[in-house]
Amino acid sequence: MSLPSGHTTGHTDQVVQRRARCWDIYQRRFSSRSEPVNPGMHSSSHQQQDGDAAMHGAHMDSPVRYTPYAISPYNRKGSFRKQDQTHVNMEREQKPPERRMEGNMPDGTLGSWFKITVPFGIKYNEKWLLNLIQNECSVPFVPVEFHYENMHASFFVENASIAYALKNVSGKIWDEDNEKISIFVNPAGIPHFVHRELKSEKVEQIKLAMNQQCDVSQEALDIQRLPFYPDMVNRDTKMASNPRKCMAASLDVHEENIPTVTSAGEMDKWKGIELGEKCADRSPVCTTFLDTSSNINSILELFPKVLCLDGQQSPRATLCGTEAHKRLPTCKGSFFGSEMLKNLVLQFLQQYYLIYDSGDRQGLLSAYHDEACFSLSIPFNPEDSAPSRFCKFFKDSRNIKILKDPYLRGELLKHTKLDIVDSLSVLPKTQHDLSSFLVDMWYQTEWMLCFSVNGVFKEVEGQSQGSVLAFTRTFIATPGSSSSCLRNNQCDYVRAPHVLAWPKMYFPVTEPGDLAGAKKPKPNSQG
Amino acid sequence: MRKYRSHWSQGDREGYQRRSNYYEGPHTSHSSPADRTREEVVTPTLPGHAATRSQMATSLDFKTYVDQACRAAEEFVNIYYETMDKRRRALTRLYLDKATLIWNGNAVSGLDALNNFFDTLPSSEFQVNMLDCQPVHEQATQSQTTVLVVTSGTVKFDGNKQHFFNQNFLLTAQSTPNNTVWKIASDCFRFQDWSSS
Repeated sequence: MSLPSGHTTGHTDQVVQRRARCWDIYQRRFSSRSEPVNPGMHSSSHQQQDGDAAMHGAHMDSPVRYTPYAISPYNRKGSFRKQDQTHVNMEREQKPPERRMEGNMPDGTLGSWFKITVPFGIKYNEKWLLNLIQNECSVPFVPVEFHYENMHASFFVENASIAYALKNVSGKIWDEDNEKISIFVNPAGIPHFVHRELKSEKVEQIKLAMNQQCDVSQEALDIQRLPFYPDMVNRDTKMASNPRKCMAASLDVHEENIPTVTSAGEMDKWKGIELGEKCADRSPVCTTFLDTSSNINSILELFPKVLCLDGQQSPRATLCGTEAHKRLPTCKGSFFGSEMLKNLVLQFLQQYYLIYDSGDRQGLLSAYHDEACFSLSIPFNPEDSAPSRFCKFFKDSRNIKILKDPYLRGELLKHTKLDIVDSLSVLPKTQHDLSSFLVDMWYQTEWMLCFSVNGVFKEVEGQSQGSVLAFTRTFIATPGSSSSCLRNNQCDYVRAPHVLAWPKMYFPVTEPGDLAGAKKPKPNSQG
Repeated sequence: MRKYRSHWSQGDREGYQRRSNYYEGPHTSHSSPADRTREEVVTPTLPGHAATRSQMATSLDFKTYVDQACRAAEEFVNIYYETMDKRRRALTRLYLDKATLIWNGNAVSGLDALNNFFDTLPSSEFQVNMLDCQPVHEQATQSQTTVLVVTSGTVKFDGNKQHFFNQNFLLTAQSTPNNTVWKIASDCFRFQDWSSS
């Protein structure tokens, strides 16, 4: 199970160089003790692990909770940096709403918002990109809610003239592959993160702002004078499709008071797959992206959730209770230590599940180390009443919380690849939904890679045919056995990892009804 | 469930049986929570493991590592979630200095950041329904005894709705002649919510 050849290092080298340049900036993101967990880890892989904000910054339904009103914009140099040493985005020092409402605009209104989009910006790290734009932009700007969406990067700004200035930067900046970077600007309505900050006692101000906002037609006219590419407009997947409903819920304002926000009209969704067609007449950045990693590109399309991260709910923290200052961090999508490892892991998963779902799992023998382990668990006590479709798994389920017999504990842990593949072969036939996969790469050294996959699959035969189950699977992998792998640390895992210990696969409780209605991420391609 | 016992019962072994306290011994007996003043996960040291990594005994068979992994996992899970729920400030004692946590996709690295993180997390009520573990092969760990622990269940954070969760830990062992202390090298936590809400 080797990876396809044609893996290019040119792009990777430049990526590493870029990371090296940004390394000092990223020192602040991590604690002073964030040396590799295993001291044997090579320094370059350490850089890789930390430097790739493109993956760290990928957001989902409820992204960074930024409080744009907390600090005056003119004092906000560099404040778009994440606050503390972790990647956790939490609202900690929130100013009270009264102060938040003032200050941004001289007349106390909210101003109008514009969404700034950099196509294919997912390749760029946030800090680097924003610095680059700011250096070229004639006015200072404050990017709000920077996030990655599908394949591109976006943020909001709160002023039409700033938006115009940013539009002028388009095509005047280049990335490290010497490709022009484009910038697109669209009116954005009132972004949802603004909704949350507003309290009901500010309804009148909000109404006033809405009316001004919906002179967006006036603003729109200004924007229309710009080189504006309507077909590049993207649906803001975080906003409700009907922003009126969204705002009414949070502001408790009667719906009839909220005028139509024109930006919520029909927007074409960015079609990630059709990069070639869309960009034939655009900047060469498109074709470069395709050329260096066309195979990766097609693989990434299988895992849209990894990129666009729709569908994962974030917990709704409330302000009640004695711990009002404590918040659950925003839930984010897949976490990878580096671009290189991300691609490797995704390729591995794609190949693995291709075989796993093929009907003959003997092909997995080449994936497993001779002395690998495998076990399976479901979080049920079999003596509870549980959905009958889990019954067939009970006899193989290893839950040592309830299973105390050491003999059985030993029996249910499969050891050696032959035993493992034999066990896997008798499990029901499945069809895994790669678009549902959420992957966490949570430990890496020179010798070991640990990652967990959360997703759903369907049973495709037997009594439970059609039923959808959720699973979590944890892999521990070591590099392929060739010694040439270890020489160059960047290529540690170029060869397909051998799954060494495959500790777990389990199926939490789900009812088919739930999953049928479950929010699924929209794949990059429409339909 | 009864109908599956015939698959499991073999030889002299009894079938599936629930026992609340299989392992005996001073280190792993389940004393009441009030007795535990230290947040440490401790198990008896395997023969030949008293020294550090270089002297990993190779004569022990796989079964022994499996048993050791199970002991460590059980002891660990009991202590970890209770500490998380009731003595949150002591939780980072269970982590190595350079441990990392990936919490719903958020990366937290090093003890300072972990302390910070757990301090800002609302208070919790964990219910663990499932626990599994495996010894990790020494080739992957360069002979540093390591156990993979996987848990799942439900959790309610103050001010939030209840979530299903699953969590993985890598525990590494520091062995002395008398006992082995286990600490978390890495931790990965995810809500497991697949509902349509």
